Amino acid sequence: MDILIYGTVNSIVLALIAVGFTLVYGVSRIPNFAHGALYVLVGFLTWSFINDLKINYLLAVTLSLIISALLGAIIYRWVLIRLRGMATSEIIASFAVSLIILEGLRMQGIGGFKGFIGPYYILPPFIEGKMRIVGVLIDFQRLIIIGGGLAIVLLLWIFTHHTKVGLSLRAIAQDERAALMLGIDSDRAAVIALSIGSALAGLAAVIILPLGNVTAEAGYKVLIDAIAVCIIGGLGSWAGAVLASFVLGFAMIISTALFGAVWEKVVLVGAIILILILRPSGLLGKQKELEERV
Amino acid sequence: MDGEALLQVKNISKSFGGVKAVMDVNLSLFKGEILGIIGPNGSGKTTLVNLITGFVRPDSGEVLFKGKKITGIQPHKIANLGLTRTFQIMRPYHSLSAFKNLIVPLNSPRVRRSRGGRLGDRDAVAIDILEEIGFQRDAYVPYKTASSLPLGYLKRLELARCIAMGPEIIICDEIFSGLSMAEIATMVPVLEKLEMEGVTIMMIEHRLRELFRLVNRVIVMNFGEKLAEGIPEEVMKKQDVRKAYLGTEVDNVGG
Repeated sequence: MDILIYGTVNSIVLALIAVGFTLVYGVSRIPNFAHGALYVLVGFLTWSFINDLKINYLLAVTLSLIISALLGAIIYRWVLIRLRGMATSEIIASFAVSLIILEGLRMQGIGGFKGFIGPYYILPPFIEGKMRIVGVLIDFQRLIIIGGGLAIVLLLWIFTHHTKVGLSLRAIAQDERAALMLGIDSDRAAVIALSIGSALAGLAAVIILPLGNVTAEAGYKVLIDAIAVCIIGGLGSWAGAVLASFVLGFAMIISTALFGAVWEKVVLVGAIILILILRPSGLLGKQKELEERV
Repeated sequence: MDGEALLQVKNISKSFGGVKAVMDVNLSLFKGEILGIIGPNGSGKTTLVNLITGFVRPDSGEVLFKGKKITGIQPHKIANLGLTRTFQIMRPYHSLSAFKNLIVPLNSPRVRRSRGGRLGDRDAVAIDILEEIGFQRDAYVPYKTASSLPLGYLKRLELARCIAMGPEIIICDEIFSGLSMAEIATMVPVLEKLEMEGVTIMMIEHRLRELFRLVNRVIVMNFGEKLAEGIPEEVMKKQDVRKAYLGTEVDNVGG
């Protein structure tokens, strides 16, 4: 029972982290290596708004998410737009942005800035307290992760399937050239995708981070998690990302329960290797098949 | 055929590496006509289309649409100006229904502008277009995805998406290829109706017999250059055209 509940929580944590990454990749074919950095940045921004500026919690979260979305758009408009189609350069450039953000957060000394280092940075949970579900003790924040994660995936599905902008994003994702010929601006679509993707990274942060404290190092871990989920699910495939989150989420919890916590990362990386050998396009990826069809 | 050309291609050239795909080509497309572009495989026809529609930037030369230079403009902007195309390898949205495939262009800035924000009848317009190109009612029920449609339908869907843009020019890149005579027979009236409505069409085609029934004028390309231009019957009589396009041995023109 423990495994079922904590496996579900862990799976949804992964899904929350990955869904923004996969949205950006699906629409613009850009692997946004700044994804983890935006996640951490939103954590620190929210913390600063609450503790330094004494802003109301909800307002602080909203502000941080808006900043994150704007940053996503800026990263595309100023940096990535010049590198479209060059995958390696996109990775290097977005990882550079990631380094600037993450190491910038840790930097000390400029203008009396002490750097976000140490265990003091804790976001408050939405609701304090714990409860028992079928004998397992679980805190409310983890329940919020489950509810919030499901709600976000559902909202995203509605957005992409039943709105005009969502439809044009899907059109670009499926075939950029055809979409161009039907009058869709691919740069505009990419800006929208990066804004939403970055806001989703931030949303994941404010939901997940109250479980522990905020550290800059978490940015790299989140990035690796997101990439692992997307590779295993099939790059750009949403259903694949959600499925892979559950496969990985449970695999990590089960291996931790059976062999100890160090095995968590082994499972994660091992799963990537396994999937690349058995099914290189991922569980639900279509890229390979499409290439073969043409 | 008199008056200002709707589309003018001036001395356009493009090389890929050392290969000269299109060399110093000039052509004019006049309002309301159907122009055929023919030529053997690799003669630069599709590159020419890519140059006109902005997918490939020319090394030199320019394209004028209604007197305005469109070279260097992004493809989606050219499409929104009213110059659209089909793709030789069909590019329908496989996971979308035929109906949704049409909603995409019906949401484009061009269509929204021309309809003055009246989006209420958008779905009806999509159904009308599907009916016009001969989709049976059961073929376009929402949730039936394009990937389940047979080739003949996909080719027509490709054309339907262009029609949905409400374009002034449609460039058809081999929309007859791979189709049966019966399937072509269902597409011809659609093209004729477009011509009657004043839409200008440029057709790249290998199916000469079917093409020549539609076009007023034809341009022959070979090795990236314009080899000949004129009325189909006369052009096909020329010795160099027959040599390039059909081989010397063939004397049954038009097949």
